[in-house]
Amino acid sequence: MINRDVKSLQRKPDVVDVVIVGMGASGGTAAKVLSEAGLTVVGLDRGPWLSPQTHFSGDELKFLNRDYLGPDPALNPRTVRHDLNSKAEITSFSPVPQLVGGGTVHWAGWVPRPMPSDFKQRSLHGDIEGASLVDWPITYDELEPYLSKIEWEFGCAGLARSNKFEPPRSREYPMPPLPPTAFAAKFYEGCERLGINAYPFPIALASTSYKGREPANHTGFWNQFGDPTLMRSTTLTSFIPDALSTGRFELRPDCYVREVTVGSEGRAKGVVYVDAEGNEFEQEAKAVVLCLGAIESARLMLMSKSRYFPEGLANSSGYLGKNATFHETMWTVGLFDKDLHDPLYGYSGHQMNGGSFEFYETDESRGHIGGSVIASCTVAQPINWLHPGRPMWGQAGKDADRDFYNHAMAVELILHDMPQETNQVDLDPEVTDGWGLPVARITHKPHENDIRLATWQTNKNMEILEAAGAYRVLPTHLEKSTGNSFHQHGTARMGDNWSTSVLNEWCQAHDVDNLFVMDGSFFPTSTGVNPTLTIMAQAWRASEYLANIYARGRAE
Amino acid sequence: MVCRAHWRVIQPRVAVDAPERLFFDEHQWQTIEDATARIIPTDHQPGAREAAVVRYIDRYLSGIEYIYAAADGSGFLELDGHPAQSWTRRVEALRCAYSEGVRDLDRLSNEIFDSPFTELDEAKQDAVLVTLSGAPKPEPLGPGRAESIGTILQSASDHRLTFFNLLALHTRQGFYGDPFYGGNRDRIGWEVIGFPGPTSLRDTNDCSFSLESTYVTGKAWEDLIPHLRESAPLSTN
Repeated sequence: MINRDVKSLQRKPDVVDVVIVGMGASGGTAAKVLSEAGLTVVGLDRGPWLSPQTHFSGDELKFLNRDYLGPDPALNPRTVRHDLNSKAEITSFSPVPQLVGGGTVHWAGWVPRPMPSDFKQRSLHGDIEGASLVDWPITYDELEPYLSKIEWEFGCAGLARSNKFEPPRSREYPMPPLPPTAFAAKFYEGCERLGINAYPFPIALASTSYKGREPANHTGFWNQFGDPTLMRSTTLTSFIPDALSTGRFELRPDCYVREVTVGSEGRAKGVVYVDAEGNEFEQEAKAVVLCLGAIESARLMLMSKSRYFPEGLANSSGYLGKNATFHETMWTVGLFDKDLHDPLYGYSGHQMNGGSFEFYETDESRGHIGGSVIASCTVAQPINWLHPGRPMWGQAGKDADRDFYNHAMAVELILHDMPQETNQVDLDPEVTDGWGLPVARITHKPHENDIRLATWQTNKNMEILEAAGAYRVLPTHLEKSTGNSFHQHGTARMGDNWSTSVLNEWCQAHDVDNLFVMDGSFFPTSTGVNPTLTIMAQAWRASEYLANIYARGRAE
Repeated sequence: MVCRAHWRVIQPRVAVDAPERLFFDEHQWQTIEDATARIIPTDHQPGAREAAVVRYIDRYLSGIEYIYAAADGSGFLELDGHPAQSWTRRVEALRCAYSEGVRDLDRLSNEIFDSPFTELDEAKQDAVLVTLSGAPKPEPLGPGRAESIGTILQSASDHRLTFFNLLALHTRQGFYGDPFYGGNRDRIGWEVIGFPGPTSLRDTNDCSFSLESTYVTGKAWEDLIPHLRESAPLSTN
């Protein structure tokens, strides 16, 4: 339902320097850096602009079961298939919230740094059958100043040197870690018995008074809930207000972009969007920055077909949407005997607490390459508490909740999945969303290495829980990717080679010099850590390039 | 059109603890109440029946008035625009699923035991649920390593679930969800499992509900992290 009957004045707002689509982790970062550098910027987000204190609470039904932060699975479905020959089914896949602040509004705030090895997987491992490993066009050392910048500007609590495997860092953490939760203390116990280095996992929150923020939320309603205080680091409450305070940034929520328009020279002209009332607008800009997340940015570019780009915007390589990686979260849950152990309060704290990099680097004796970060985690709130294979009903179901809810914890791994060309995002040929536009179709099948890594690490996580004294351990395995980590990467890889990548090292499209993609799309390989810190650091770096070099007409 | 950020807070048609039926007819109410009482049974402690789980489900199915509580628990949000249309359709689909589900329970009960579901004893009701679910009744948990299962999304939307799975999920929701939604009467569900829980949604919005006292304080990081003992002392927590 699109209303084209509005005044032309409204339909063509003034041209600005930059229009950013998507106001999440990367969009919020770009808005801050670009507007503070003096550019005029409009930010569009399809979701609402909510206020923490007015809109957020510890309401499990609202946030976990009824998609208050979006996406509504009926309005914004996705389809998933496991290989190119199967028919895709409608499924909620990687349902990252749709609102101003994006994933940073609901995230727990895991901010481990990537390791130097993550940037050179091809050099380290060569040709892995079935995988499309490449090196990043940047190194850890080039990104490091920006990792520090995000840790300090955004707010992050951690303890330098406690991680034995920590990569080089130019600064300490700005804030100390919070104390361990009871379940984290159990994790430290298990790890010490096995000689594993556990350490306070870095989290994006205010653990002390910091930039006007207080460590005020100890409700435990944390992961996937909105935080009503300013404790959690979100772009909604930090970088976006910073951008607004420059007077050069305008934020337009509830605006759904359906096309990036292309001008006569094959350059991006602006974006077409529909507001909440169904009115259509075209916002022109000198540069377009896409920050919708790796699934939706690829979808928007694929929908933006033109005379110059009949296969989708900036897709002369044919690689747009390919090499998608999603980091399945693999849980291992430990249930402890309440007669032998004090309560673990596996719903307290800020979702994850102690973690480890002990198994991150490749050790081929394990039967796989790469590795993943692990961390001890809550099982979360009562309705949805993590209990793989939960007895669904009857006395056994009631007893399972009663006997173990207070004595349960999880150890999670973030699956470092191999890129594969056939794992991709494209447009579903049949299914459309609530606006009549084709939805993203995910094609994803785990690589053999993903399955071996997941199995090996899950066994190790079971050993940790058993060493800590668990009565029963509940492992998960990798049948298929569900997108349950909400991490999305790789659909518009950065690279030096124009024929096999979409973006250059500045997140700038090879084909369209005034188009930038700054969300997880740019990841050439997935890394084994949560991606947001890396995304934000690179978005900052790319935005500096856009403002200081590109916009001034200088060549790098 | 009112955008999500500005949805009004409205007072629902009945008070939180009111007994009124809003959607189910009497037979449906009793059938679903009995079924939820087999999902979370009453034993030496209360179960789904005492927690008014059926009332929670009935309100959910009554329209779009009970979808989202206001963050401070002062009422419910008045949905508008695309979300209102979508939730209207979703609730309509859920109503159909429940109406058919009640008919299915009675049909199976009549086929197997020659009586409607509500007139069966608990063992026979369980047998009907076993047939409906297509799986054996769950067994108690033992020690050791459980069989591995495939990963899932932790946030469980009820969109497109079958009736038995809806019933099981909604029973959990009505037993453990915030009492403001009509279930978990007197915080019964939370008491059974020892979840301290907030006294109201407001306590989670102003964060006066706190679990900070459960953190492990007073230990130096060196006590927890052996490798720090070998290097210079850092800080304590």
